[in-house]
Amino acid sequence: MEILAQLIVSGIALGMIYAVIAFGYQLTFATSSTLNFGQGEALMLGALVGLSLVGYMNYWLMIPLVLIFGAMQGVFVERVAVLPALKTKSEFGWIMTTISLAIIFKNVAENIWGRDDLTFPSPLPTSPLQFFGIRVLPMEILVVFGALAIMLAVEIFNRKSIYGKAVVATSNDRDAAGLMGINTGMVITFSYALSSMTAAFAGVLVAPLTLTGATMGVVLGLKAFAVAIIGGLNSGMGVIVGGLLLGIAETTTGYYISTGYKDVPGLFLLLLVLAIKPAGMFGKSVIKKV
Amino acid sequence: MLEIQNLHAAYGKVEVLHGISLEVPKGKVVTLIGSNGAGKTTTMRAISGMIKPASGRLSLNGIDITGMSSNKIARSGLAHSPEGRRVFATLSVTDNLLLGAFPRLTFGRPRGDVEGDLKRIFDLFPRLKERENQLAGTLSGGEQQMLAMGRALMLNPDVLLLDEPSMGLAPLLVEEVFRIIRELKSRGITMLLVEQFAAAALNVADYGYVLENGHISVHGPAEQLKNDPAVREAYLGAAH
Ligand SMILES: Nc1ncnc2c1ncn2[C@@H]1O[C@H](COP(=O)(O)OP(=O)(O)OP(=O)(O)O)[C@@H](O)[C@H]1O
Ligand SMILES: [Mg+2]
Repeated sequence: MEILAQLIVSGIALGMIYAVIAFGYQLTFATSSTLNFGQGEALMLGALVGLSLVGYMNYWLMIPLVLIFGAMQGVFVERVAVLPALKTKSEFGWIMTTISLAIIFKNVAENIWGRDDLTFPSPLPTSPLQFFGIRVLPMEILVVFGALAIMLAVEIFNRKSIYGKAVVATSNDRDAAGLMGINTGMVITFSYALSSMTAAFAGVLVAPLTLTGATMGVVLGLKAFAVAIIGGLNSGMGVIVGGLLLGIAETTTGYYISTGYKDVPGLFLLLLVLAIKPAGMFGKSVIKKV
Repeated sequence: MLEIQNLHAAYGKVEVLHGISLEVPKGKVVTLIGSNGAGKTTTMRAISGMIKPASGRLSLNGIDITGMSSNKIARSGLAHSPEGRRVFATLSVTDNLLLGAFPRLTFGRPRGDVEGDLKRIFDLFPRLKERENQLAGTLSGGEQQMLAMGRALMLNPDVLLLDEPSMGLAPLLVEEVFRIIRELKSRGITMLLVEQFAAAALNVADYGYVLENGHISVHGPAEQLKNDPAVREAYLGAAH
């Protein structure tokens, strides 16, 4: 029982990382129906830039700089890979261009930071805290709250500010949003900035718990993509539930069956959801009246 | 005021508008009538920048707006309530109305009294006031139409385009829509109106244009068009 509780706690931290990355997929999908398949690489770049920066400053001062870096990286992806594909009305061009760019980012990172995994110094004590016999790393708590905080911040921005409402309007009906005087091209660029920013943030949250290196984003990005599909590409609640489900499924399978099979439940979950509810567990079709 | 000179527009390679010229003077209501597929909606879309004109010249208050993106044209003072309403389904009624004032809330146009205007829109459309926090996607068709009109008015536009505001509405609501158009006219709002109920449109309008297959076939003061035998036969015979 205690072991199961322990596994669930570890799964939650992992799951929240998946949730934040999946949330990033949703942000661009909402405004432009496109995804950045380099979301994992945005996370990796955030982590490595953060690692270089913590050589000169403390972890907490580094975070805002990494957020700015992430936003700029997102703008770059949108301008270089997505905008040209959308301009030529090529329906699936963005898939190839974002994947290609992701590969380039990985190569660039290997050249700058090397091929070996690096250790990211933990900003919090590395000895676990005990709650009713369950050990929790302070960093795991930070991951959960940090992930929730950034998702909540975006949600509040969307609901309360006129600029956030303009983002939602663009997601609803791009042409009609244009008629309101909203520069919908800018909104899409902004959603890419926000999306990569959240991924970069996830990068510096997860880095102290794992190994940091050029390839760290590949698997994370892929699994978060599964979470986005499982939870539904338009449901904020969906990615949190989906992320937690996948995170916990992985840690428990890894322990009770074999670490070799820890990726199986995620795939199984994905196939199950696609078969039963292709829009995702919480996916909703927008109500439209004619 | 709005001036259109020799406007051509196409979808892909198919030209739909073959050189249209029309004028909407300040404070006047002008109507554009024509049968289904004549190109009325296309004309509206080309004016507001939803599609790029192939050629021709559009000017708003003397400023050339040809080829501008729709958001710039809106910020120049043109509001377009599009065919099919196009309200933002997942946003509340109030948020939809506030977005109509987006350029005023974001330094794109003089701010004026946004809160007061919101209140005045609710006075004009009491049904919207009752549903201010409801999501627009859950409104009835008639309520969505009121919302689309209210949202366009929130720009404080110099020119307002209304594309079939009565489409799909029950007769009582159609009357309500025309009552509101008349009310807007009395407030001096400059309007270009497209309506399937040609007779009613000509009754409220000062001037009318008849669009046939992408050409303007006849135009003149509304009174005169109402009595034109060809117009009566083609557009007013079957209408109410
Ligand atoms: N998005 C589009 N792509 C291709 N052709 C289009 C498109 N929209 C309209 N058309 C064509 O352009 C022509 C004019 O259409 P438009 O919608 O402007 O007509 P309308 O006068 O508004 O008709 P209605 O009274 O039915 O609304 C029609 O032949 C229509 O089939
Ligand atoms: Mg039409």
